[in-house]
Amino acid sequence: MKKGLYACGVAMMSLALIGLTGCASKSLQSGGNSSAQAPAKAGAGSNADSFPSTGIQPSGSELRGLEKSPSEERVGNAMLSKVDPSASAPRQLDEAASAELRDVFFGYDSWAISEEAGLGLTRNAEWIKSNSSAQVKIEGHCDERGTSAYNLVLGEKRAKTVRNYLVELGIGANRLSVVSYGKEQPSCSEHDEPCYQQNRRGHLVVKSGK
Amino acid sequence: MTQVKWISSVAGGLLLAAGAFGILESGAADVFLEATRPDFQKISLAVAGIQNAGGPEWLGGQIEEVLKKDVKRSLVFDLVDLPSLGIKARALGTGMGSDAKAVFNQAAGNGVSVVVWGKASLKESGKEAEVNMEGLVYDSGSDEVIGGKRYAGNPSVLRLMAHRFADELVFRYTGEPGIARTKIAYVVQHASVREIAVMDYDGYDARQVTADGFLNLMPRWSPDCRFLLFTAYRSRNTQDIDMIELATGKRWTVVSLGGLNITPALSPDGNFLAFASSYQGDSELYLLDTRTKARQRLTVNPSGDLSPSWSPNGRELTFVSDRGGGPQVFLMSADGSNVRRLTFEGDYNAAPVWSPRGNRIAYVCRIHKEYKLCIISPDGQNRMQLTTGPGIDDSPSWSPDGRHLVFSSTVHEKSHIYMIDADGKNLERLTFQGTRNSAPSWCPAS
Repeated sequence: MKKGLYACGVAMMSLALIGLTGCASKSLQSGGNSSAQAPAKAGAGSNADSFPSTGIQPSGSELRGLEKSPSEERVGNAMLSKVDPSASAPRQLDEAASAELRDVFFGYDSWAISEEAGLGLTRNAEWIKSNSSAQVKIEGHCDERGTSAYNLVLGEKRAKTVRNYLVELGIGANRLSVVSYGKEQPSCSEHDEPCYQQNRRGHLVVKSGK
Repeated sequence: MTQVKWISSVAGGLLLAAGAFGILESGAADVFLEATRPDFQKISLAVAGIQNAGGPEWLGGQIEEVLKKDVKRSLVFDLVDLPSLGIKARALGTGMGSDAKAVFNQAAGNGVSVVVWGKASLKESGKEAEVNMEGLVYDSGSDEVIGGKRYAGNPSVLRLMAHRFADELVFRYTGEPGIARTKIAYVVQHASVREIAVMDYDGYDARQVTADGFLNLMPRWSPDCRFLLFTAYRSRNTQDIDMIELATGKRWTVVSLGGLNITPALSPDGNFLAFASSYQGDSELYLLDTRTKARQRLTVNPSGDLSPSWSPNGRELTFVSDRGGGPQVFLMSADGSNVRRLTFEGDYNAAPVWSPRGNRIAYVCRIHKEYKLCIISPDGQNRMQLTTGPGIDDSPSWSPDGRHLVFSSTVHEKSHIYMIDADGKNLERLTFQGTRNSAPSWCPAS
């Protein structure tokens, strides 16, 4: 593995050198034109097996140094395709909160099920059992403190703890799915402990259809 | 919150309350970066003005303002003001006239090493408009006009011309490419929707690059800045790692394993993608060879591992693991061997990023219940706290020259992106639009 990385580094360096010399003779264009204007829509090329070449390519906007008699450099706008923010259509929700399903709350930095949360989950389990066709999604949420990344992991731990608890209460694991929203979808937007407590939650929703 | 001190007042009006957002004003005892070391002699540089050579009145002044800020942020130059030295600003023309020579002599006599000046014009003909800018450089060491640059383009690249010229100055005096043309990706939030956006390194020219209508999180650049990788909630229930090519808007889902797929990091050569996925249970680190698609698991333990960041030589990774309870920063070789813990102070250390010169790692540290930025050497020495005060700081990201960091700081309902020198000086707010901007990532190439 190490050797592989090293070999590639050398290959990349020589490629970059070729690229640089090739570039100097190419043109005085800097930055480049943004001719392609395809909107960045989700879904395009969503084949997870595809991976475009991410090897380093020279940008074509290298500095050329101060010149005694400067020739004109055309400065192109940095390349960014345009996206239409109005294209962001609200998604169809295939899920609904159920008044019968209660949120369960967690301690700071914790994903342990408290006694109170356990009682709530027992009631939730009864409802899920009596609605035998219901598919339930368990969302794990966090308060705003801490990093976005670690809160995603923490939120997943909470969601999975809830799932495991429900499975122990006799719910089929195939009826339960989990997702973590970290601190990205708070239910309460104040910045104090009562609100933080409300955000550290496992939230259960019923999925309608498959 | 009570003590509000105004710093970094510049012509454009980028003012900020240092007390309110927390800057470590002293105490930056350990400074490793040569350009910020006490014995590093900054090069004294004066911008003698960008004259208007036709076009709107603001033109030259605007370019001059952008250029001056770039020069200051470079940390290579000490920006001096000629009038404050008693030197009258005059049009310097080609630098060959006797007026210009008199200014150069006075400047050199006052210890100014470099004098920069120029002119700019904007011509409109019908719907077309064209900006021309010329910058010239006098060097007191050789006592001559050492050269210049001429730029042409449409008015939308006005700032970019100034950035480009600033980077040429840095290049001339350090051999480094400068940072003024670099970009920062980040997350912009509208209500509960989060999308990826890109802005210039100074906060201008912000553009949204996704419009999915739900959650796109934590962007990271490819090493050459052609691509952004980020976590995308394709449906509301799956978190994949997506990649977008900025020039075309073309988009790929590159990791879709089920479970949580987060914190992508391409290796410095662009050929390996390190990321965290929970598809085999808890969050673990994996390495994907982007050419063969071979996937290798790097961590094996019943706890959360995430947030990999490559050493600049591509041989090691720093990452977060909560294998000891709370999250801590660890190091390992790029093949998953030789794992060792880096942080021991405090019970919450996360979001590590390896500096481009390899000698430091910045991360989020929890100190007295506040989430601030800390810096540590990869050998565990020289830990220092970079930011202080209220606000939840997150997502540190190094500038390509290793002299600055960007990060987000959340105070009550507002979250904005800030730049800070690697020694804790010169805190500068970069985002002013909207109320919630977060998760900045600095493009690693100039």
